[in-house]
Amino acid sequence: MKKFIISILTLLVSMVIICPSVIAGGAGPSKDLLKGEILSVDPASHTLKFRKDTTDEELTLIYPESMKPEDIPVNRKVLVNLVHLEGAHEGEAAHAAPEMREIKSIEIMFLDMTIVRIIALMAIGAVGGLLSGFIGSGGAFVMTPAMMSLGAPGAVAVASNMCHKFPKAMVGAYKRWKYGQADIKLGLVMAVSAIVGVQIGIMIQKAILAAFGGAGSNLYISVVFLVVLIFVGGYVMMDAISLAKGTKEEKVGTLALKMQNIKIPPMIHFKTANITVSAWITLPVGILTGMLAATIAVGGFIGVPGLIYVLGVSAVVASATELVIAFVMGCWGSIQWGLAGLIDIRLTVLLLSCSLIGVQLGALGTTYVKDYVIKLVMASTMLIVAVSRGAKVPGYLVDLGWMEPISDTALKVLDSISFWSLVTALGTAALIIIVAMVKGMMAHKQGTAA
Amino acid sequence: MATTTSKGKPWGKTVIMGAISLASYIFLFKNEQLVTEVYTKGGVNTIFPIVTVFWFSFVHGAFASNLLECLGIEAKSSH
Repeated sequence: MKKFIISILTLLVSMVIICPSVIAGGAGPSKDLLKGEILSVDPASHTLKFRKDTTDEELTLIYPESMKPEDIPVNRKVLVNLVHLEGAHEGEAAHAAPEMREIKSIEIMFLDMTIVRIIALMAIGAVGGLLSGFIGSGGAFVMTPAMMSLGAPGAVAVASNMCHKFPKAMVGAYKRWKYGQADIKLGLVMAVSAIVGVQIGIMIQKAILAAFGGAGSNLYISVVFLVVLIFVGGYVMMDAISLAKGTKEEKVGTLALKMQNIKIPPMIHFKTANITVSAWITLPVGILTGMLAATIAVGGFIGVPGLIYVLGVSAVVASATELVIAFVMGCWGSIQWGLAGLIDIRLTVLLLSCSLIGVQLGALGTTYVKDYVIKLVMASTMLIVAVSRGAKVPGYLVDLGWMEPISDTALKVLDSISFWSLVTALGTAALIIIVAMVKGMMAHKQGTAA
Repeated sequence: MATTTSKGKPWGKTVIMGAISLASYIFLFKNEQLVTEVYTKGGVNTIFPIVTVFWFSFVHGAFASNLLECLGIEAKSSH
């Protein structure tokens, strides 16, 4: 415990020191997103008076004609998304000439907590936690859209989920470290290099956004997402099936062996993972993980297979180590979203109420299953999530003008396919974990009784 | 966070941690307007959500760990 806490404290202190430089180019909300209160609405001129949070600066903003004045929430904390000015940098829209400060959308920041919302948040927290404790990466891909469908603004959903992710990962990492599965040193090395990768990933995304606009950027993200998920998920699935059938032995892969044979100093030994690898291999894997994490927002889908197939770590250690990475990345992300004041702590603690139980259940579940079960759960999740993202692609192609427009009904159907396949991914994964865990526990009980 | 394999179940710890956790939840939701206002000011106020989630993860995490142990759901002793 002492060693674990010292590692975490060292990390937090170093993050506080490096944070200002990281924030400069780091992930976080768009600067065209304003937080504050609408003071009054003037229907005659289609404008409203808005007071920005923190600076108390008052701005006159133009609202679109499609927006009814009576629907605009006055005297409530809102998030106002401004239309991005062509050729301008992010954040310049708020300081443009008054006639150019056009509103794209207005969202109420704090949703009212109804019983249905509370139960829904606790339920998704439980399943996400279970998944996180078991495969190291925990359903952010479904939590954020689920929170948005409950009524939370996108930025608040991302921020609150991020702030829930890191304490959950910390508890999971602690549990799995106690089981002798998490390699803290490997996790920290990977996480620090992944943060560098995230910066590069963001730069690439910004360049694509500037060149091809929003639809182009969405298409790029979807294509990377699909390619990574189908290829990596498919490979992990084939590997898991061969191991389950017994046609293949559980051993370090050829690529990983080649990587471990590259002896360019400095060589780093990772005790729990039981590997010695050159920093020249470890760092690029971490950077690439970060780059992809910045693009597809699910770092674990890359981090865990990277650790298994490139570095030669077992699935159980890889998924445990991913929790250390998730903690560091989540903590770093939460500080940034917190600085922007977008974390709704009520959402965060409601998610935590059940995810802290789920993550520990998932963590102890790994001690009852064979290595391939972790691969199986991860691969199934990745492949179903790929379906979800695939369903979004036609919409982006239409937006780009690369495909004939499709009807609104078809778009709605595709959207619900996308959302429900995410729910299926989470449900399937939870089911496999619970079945495997119960089977393992029963076999263990029978074994000890005999 | 007790995960010992001893036969005694940590009911006492579970109840204490559960009570502290529940009290924290009630406190937060009773003051939700103030809390959401203060926590979303940005800047140095970032410390509030961060410290709060650490608090919940220690208190509620310990409660969850003890609860699972009381229910007899424990990790396999040798893996």
